[in-house]
Amino acid sequence: MVLGGQVIGRRDFIKTTSSLVLLLATPTDSLKEQEKKRYAMLIDSSRCYGCMACVVTCAAENNVPIGFFRTWVERFVKPTGAVIFVPKQCNHCEDPPCVRPCPTRATFRDPNGLVLIDDNLCIGCGACVQACPYGARFPNPVKGTADKCTFCYHRLNKGLLPACVETCPTGARIFGSLTEENELKNIVESVPTQVLKPHANTRPMIFYMNLPEEANR
Amino acid sequence: MMLETSQYYYPNEATTPIVWDPVVFAYTFLISGADMIILASLAYLTKRLTRAIPLLIVLGISFFATVLFGPLADLRSPHKATLIFSSPHLLPTAETPGISLIAFQSILWIIGLILSVTFALLYFSYNMYLKASEGGKLSKLCRILSLGIRDEASYNKLQPILKGLAIIMIVPMTFWGIYPASLMISQTWVFLWRNWTTLIFAYYADTFVVATAISILVYFIMKAGRVDSEMVKPLLKVHAAGSISVVGITALQLAIWWFWFIDSPINQSIAIVIPFMYLAIVLLSASFLLSIISLRFPVVSVFVSLAAFSGTIINKWNMVVNGQLISATGLGVLELHLPSDWLMLTISPISLGVFIFVVLSFIFQLEVTKLGK
Repeated sequence: MVLGGQVIGRRDFIKTTSSLVLLLATPTDSLKEQEKKRYAMLIDSSRCYGCMACVVTCAAENNVPIGFFRTWVERFVKPTGAVIFVPKQCNHCEDPPCVRPCPTRATFRDPNGLVLIDDNLCIGCGACVQACPYGARFPNPVKGTADKCTFCYHRLNKGLLPACVETCPTGARIFGSLTEENELKNIVESVPTQVLKPHANTRPMIFYMNLPEEANR
Repeated sequence: MMLETSQYYYPNEATTPIVWDPVVFAYTFLISGADMIILASLAYLTKRLTRAIPLLIVLGISFFATVLFGPLADLRSPHKATLIFSSPHLLPTAETPGISLIAFQSILWIIGLILSVTFALLYFSYNMYLKASEGGKLSKLCRILSLGIRDEASYNKLQPILKGLAIIMIVPMTFWGIYPASLMISQTWVFLWRNWTTLIFAYYADTFVVATAISILVYFIMKAGRVDSEMVKPLLKVHAAGSISVVGITALQLAIWWFWFIDSPINQSIAIVIPFMYLAIVLLSASFLLSIISLRFPVVSVFVSLAAFSGTIINKWNMVVNGQLISATGLGVLELHLPSDWLMLTISPISLGVFIFVVLSFIFQLEVTKLGK
């Protein structure tokens, strides 16, 4: 066999070809790194003072229609009069109940653990909206599809933080990957944290600190 | 959203209190077509209720064929609806774990429709030959629909195939009989549906009630009130069993909730569905009693259907529409906002089913005296 002006044997040709195939099949370092990520967020309720900056910036960043929310802040008043604010959003669950009922695979978990929606596949049946225990999904009347928080996927791809995290004036939201050494991982591993509706067995990736019992329904 | 108020719901729920519009209610009504096909299959296999087979199969197919128009009208992007068939979520993967019941049922709908239409064509084949021989405007069509069957002997050779089809057909139709209750209870987080433990059983029995009530009413209209008791009696018996089952299951559910939620704030939310359940119990009990009376006086059977319709409309509205009004928190009741065209949207799919039935009733004979004739 003549290849590039050189005569090579069949055995050499097979060896070279299989090495090439193996090389192509092996993920590169950057790909491996990307697959290792497990994005999560930590929200410290005691740091939130209800300024709603995250709600506004999220709406502006993601073109959220009026009346709908990808993130919102709940306000609770303790019998003592103390006011607690609890920001909520999609929990990007490890076992997301919203993915199962989607008839067209439009809702999926990406390799980094984000629960996302492919607008081209979403038919707007509302099954995922009905399946979310956290009220985090809504039918977007403009797009005709389901909608929810994406952890600002488009910003993450550019190496930026989600808009709500960047905007929060008190640092109540901490974002990062649980598979990398960072502030989020250190806190989640060293301090007791809570998740919403643990009985739902969805394994949420939004962790809370100082979450009032009343907010967990 | 303050702690001291008894109402607690998520903001997105307040903007869209009803994700599945009342058109889904029409959908649940049309599912009774699946039950009619089940009854036709059982009638064919057991050689009972044979006179009702043509009516049940034609009415059943007419309704079952239009069943998907309900959710189609409810889709936010109906132009992409075919993706359910071209990209169905039927196998679990790492990215999309689980199986979508909507996709599964949609595929079963195609299978069920093909099986039931094949069954109907084979079942009516000899009858079509006889009708073609009589002449008339539809004789050419009837000759095509006779599928080449020209005598009783060749029709009898079809019996094993018809039996096989009748057995296989029951499987997809049973899945449809418990759908969308199975979806509501297993793949949604709507508070009421998840806590309605008997929903699947109530729903299954309820669709039989609708199926028999429609069949009885259609037969009553066809015969202009001169009802043949031999034809109607078996349907009335099935109807009576269905009605009393729904009554019993609904009462059981009320008792379960009473034990679970009596001292809970959730009881306030559940309260919106309770009066409807009592009303359904009363109306379906009336339908049960009337069906017992109709066994002796068949002319009363029209009232059986009317009582059953009222009862099941209330029951299904309660399950489907009121059910969605209770927040996922279980601690709030949302306000009902219906789109202005909701009634038109709800009636349209049912009207289409009725229209198909009327067209088919001109082609196929809805009453037979002997199998195939």
